[in-house]
Amino acid sequence: MQRSSTRFLAVLAVGALFVGACGDDKKDTADTTADTTADTTADTTADTTADTSADTTVPAPTSWAVNTDDCIDPDAANALIEGTIQIGAVFPLTGESAADEAFAPVKDGWLAYMDYANENGLLGDLQIEASVEDDQYSKDLTPGAVSTLLDAGVDVFSGILGTPNNLAVRDTLNEECVPQLNNLTGAPEWGDVANYPWTTGERVPYDIEAKVYAEQIAQQFPEGATVALFSVNSDFGQIYVDAFKELADEFGLEIVDEQTVEATDGAPPVSQITSIASKAPQVVIGIPIGIGCVTFLNELASAKAQNAGWEPVTYISNTCAASSLILAAAGANADGVLTSNNLLDVKDPANADVPAVAEFLAYMDALGKADTVATAAAGWHVAEVTVAIIKQAMESPEGVTRASIINAARNFTYTPAFARPGVVFKSIGEEDPFLAESLQVVEYDADTATFTAIGDVITTFES
Amino acid sequence: MELFLQRLVDGLSEGSVYALIALGIVIIYRGTGHLNFAQGEMALFSTYVVYQFGEWGIPIGIAVVMGMAVGFLLGAVTEVAIVRPISKKSPFAVFIVTIGLFQLLNWLDGAIWGGQQLPNTGVGSKQIRFPSLFPSKPTDFVTILGANIKIQSLGVIALVALLTVGLFAIFNHTRLGLAMRAVAANGESAKLVGIRTGRVLMASWGMAAAIGALGGVVFAGISTSVSLGLMFTVFIYGAAAATLGGFDSPGGAVIAGFSIGLIQNMAAGYAPEWVGQEMKVGVAFLVILGVLLFRPSGLFGTSRVERV
Amino acid sequence: MTKPLFSIKQGGPTSWAIRIACAVVLAYVVLWIPTSGSNSLIDTATTALTLMGAALSLNLLLGFTGQISLGHSAFFGVGAYTTAIFVTRWGWSPLKTLPIAFVVAFVVGALVSLPALRIKGVYLALVTLTLGVVFPQFIKWPKIEWLTGGSRGLVDTGFKFDKNNRTFEIFGWNPWGNLRGENVKPFYFWIAVMIVVIIYLICRGLVKSRVGRSLIAIRDNNTAAAVMGVNLALTKGMVFGLSAAMCALPGCLTAMKGTVTPDSALLTVAGSITFLIVMVIGGAGSLWGPIIGAIVFQFITEKTSNWIEPDEIPGIFRPIFSWSKTAPSGGIFALSLIALMFVAPLGLAGLWKRLIGRIVAVVPQPVGTATLGIPTWEVEEPPSATK
Repeated sequence: MQRSSTRFLAVLAVGALFVGACGDDKKDTADTTADTTADTTADTTADTTADTSADTTVPAPTSWAVNTDDCIDPDAANALIEGTIQIGAVFPLTGESAADEAFAPVKDGWLAYMDYANENGLLGDLQIEASVEDDQYSKDLTPGAVSTLLDAGVDVFSGILGTPNNLAVRDTLNEECVPQLNNLTGAPEWGDVANYPWTTGERVPYDIEAKVYAEQIAQQFPEGATVALFSVNSDFGQIYVDAFKELADEFGLEIVDEQTVEATDGAPPVSQITSIASKAPQVVIGIPIGIGCVTFLNELASAKAQNAGWEPVTYISNTCAASSLILAAAGANADGVLTSNNLLDVKDPANADVPAVAEFLAYMDALGKADTVATAAAGWHVAEVTVAIIKQAMESPEGVTRASIINAARNFTYTPAFARPGVVFKSIGEEDPFLAESLQVVEYDADTATFTAIGDVITTFES
Repeated sequence: MELFLQRLVDGLSEGSVYALIALGIVIIYRGTGHLNFAQGEMALFSTYVVYQFGEWGIPIGIAVVMGMAVGFLLGAVTEVAIVRPISKKSPFAVFIVTIGLFQLLNWLDGAIWGGQQLPNTGVGSKQIRFPSLFPSKPTDFVTILGANIKIQSLGVIALVALLTVGLFAIFNHTRLGLAMRAVAANGESAKLVGIRTGRVLMASWGMAAAIGALGGVVFAGISTSVSLGLMFTVFIYGAAAATLGGFDSPGGAVIAGFSIGLIQNMAAGYAPEWVGQEMKVGVAFLVILGVLLFRPSGLFGTSRVERV
Repeated sequence: MTKPLFSIKQGGPTSWAIRIACAVVLAYVVLWIPTSGSNSLIDTATTALTLMGAALSLNLLLGFTGQISLGHSAFFGVGAYTTAIFVTRWGWSPLKTLPIAFVVAFVVGALVSLPALRIKGVYLALVTLTLGVVFPQFIKWPKIEWLTGGSRGLVDTGFKFDKNNRTFEIFGWNPWGNLRGENVKPFYFWIAVMIVVIIYLICRGLVKSRVGRSLIAIRDNNTAAAVMGVNLALTKGMVFGLSAAMCALPGCLTAMKGTVTPDSALLTVAGSITFLIVMVIGGAGSLWGPIIGAIVFQFITEKTSNWIEPDEIPGIFRPIFSWSKTAPSGGIFALSLIALMFVAPLGLAGLWKRLIGRIVAVVPQPVGTATLGIPTWEVEEPPSATK
């Protein structure tokens, strides 16, 4: 691969200045790609902490920077964005969702924050022009939606929902060198910095979530535990199942039963739960989606009532808990179920005093969307992180360009407004491609419809 | 043993819904010789109507009866306004029209109550909570022979059994039933002896849709929700049941409905490696294919005379 | 019946002039879209072409032999998965998988046709419907997950270009330019065009040939055809296989775009129903029907997709659709399906022929050229009741 070394050095210097300007505690990192280290002088990947002492005064020598030589139009990727920045998103708008409540409110929250950012001048002179296209949650329609937005001149994508949907446009956006920021899915694929530098995920990767549960189970059952897995038969469920199988030995889990449910199946998982109950595992881990979460919890409650003495510890994926409506629909049957989150529950009255939450609620209330805040919060939050990334890019010496935005996204430390105490979003180039890797295990209380933290925030997986 | 008994009841209660859909298919087939691909969607529409009545504060028991009445009207109007005129053209046209109805009703549900129309995947569509006809708290179960059986399951099975008995009473002991049997046996002759075949056919469609409505409500109650994809797989299983029982045998449809529920549940439960939840629907496919290939009249139907 | 205003002799100069004019317009449009159209237009056109291919192949089966299939999504999926598997597991070039997919789907289709010999009409529709339902489940089956990738699907199933120099050469000639990012869209468009042309030519060749006539004989009267010396089983099996094989080709194209998952819409029964709608609206039993149908279908879907917000609905339609919580296209197609059966069972193509027939009469050549038509199933006697 041929590259211009002067340009590289320029990017390098810029990146270094930018780290210095930010003045945070970012570690030194080396660019791990072989070709870049060839040009640079000393830095190697391994021992990066060695010279951290220096970074208070001397700018760090390197931070990850995208290579725009591979872009179709490198100049466009490095062109200064002035006046307005167009941010695009693709959401299922037509009520297509896996939940009681459609995903449509995600869009409301997302757009609301973009307006909020404009009103409060968060990006200074730069005006945000936000546009949303509908893909009906079908991966076949996402490329078309993205095309429409690209035709309209969108500079950055943010919060595209769904793993297959993001996969379907990943190639295009990486070649066009348009940042595909904060995908609203936790697929491990978003960590492929070498091949897809322009794509980042916002949710905690599902396999990390699985690890968090496995660790929690190991703490609770130091002797090892029998575990049953119940999952939706889709790419989503499969990621968790594969992760748990891989983790089983390490954490002393014995998987005694695996059951699946079809996402299309209207019937409750009666026979699956009957089968799980017959094996009486100590832990049941449920990875259904949407209404499947409710029927799973209902059936499990019935099974527990019918099998006196069987009181399994129950985990459900935090996608189930993302909409508080789902757990509310399960009512008492969801009581005591364990899940995880890295953000505050905006519906919890205890959080109403948190300034960011209060501000969000007031804003949504003013829009007349007070009833869907739980789902809208996800959109608001993703938009907030996106704007923060752009702000950081703006403060970089080269100003806001598509390249500086993705550089900012990959060298980013930020505490989102809705973050649970202790949760920090952090990414360090290739070393740590995921923003969110900290999770708090929480227990659901059906009476108050709130979550109680169990133990501390698990940050071991955040590097 | 307890596990077996539990699976038995689970299978039967799922099968009862299939039986209801199969009954609807058979009643229409007996009268007109048409296979109604919209049977499941007609049921779904009525189920949404019942949900709407519930939203207006009508108790579920009354709402179900009203929903069945709406279903009856829907079926009757469909027969008179759409199916009857079209059936003079060609069976192909009738087939296309039932597919059109399938699409139309599914779209209408989405347009009125919200949700993405995708007939195959309930994944996407908006889910609406739906009350159960029977007590369905976790503690609502009885212990029979050591197995804990849900009251809801028993209630559903009993309801379907009751309905079947009622239907047979109608078929065998009322004038309408007699007329229906006459039309089923030979439409032309029935007309000659003065039976108003039009009315009978209208009543058949209405009845089928009303039974379907009950099936939809029962199923939505079990699932605790109603969504646009709810009745699709149920229709497949119902059609499998109608094929197995014989397209012209209501009794066969009920027995076959229960059997299909039982077979797929047992297969998924006892052969998790080979069938499991993924290939449950494969059972329905094999049943339909096998029956049509080797015994086209089904288990209880009368064999058709193939014209040479 | 009023006398037409004009009459044109088939094969005469006027007829040829019209044909050439049509061909020129068509060629212009096909060239204009990838060169001057926006990326989203190219996307839309590619989707329309995909549907066109599938509907054309379904039409061959239905228009010719009168066999209904609601399982063509499965054949479509066979194509998608054949390409995906050969590319990901054995590193084949995607274009080379087209013939493989054709053969695989042909075999699958021919196997399905075995029961179809015994099962007729609406029962066949039922069997194939279930086939369409089973297919995605089969793909997800843990027993064959090693091959199909299970419910996670397969990724990187498309073209693997050199990252820096993404060109696609045919015998050293590079007609495509640099295939990167959005630039790759015209490339897919051209593959779609190629697939549709192949399918159209196969269909056309069959219709106009002796085989075509024997097929129509089968459709119109099984017994008579057999008496005339048509091998029923063989011919039906061949057509079923061919129809399946052709339907697999547009399926391959979806895989060539990069990812395949068993739940994507066209691989499930929704796909089968879409193909059927496209075919019936355009005109079952007409060569041009599915082509018109696909264009109309895609146009309406595209235009009405944002009609959820009442403000987006243009003037006259607003009172009609503003109450609907979903996009109206599903309802529009369903209603037109029903309405067409009343007024024009042969779809838009049939309607066009009838209208144009009032103005222009085409005097056919004397040779007995075969025509497609609506399938006429033998009306089955309702079975006699028990007792």
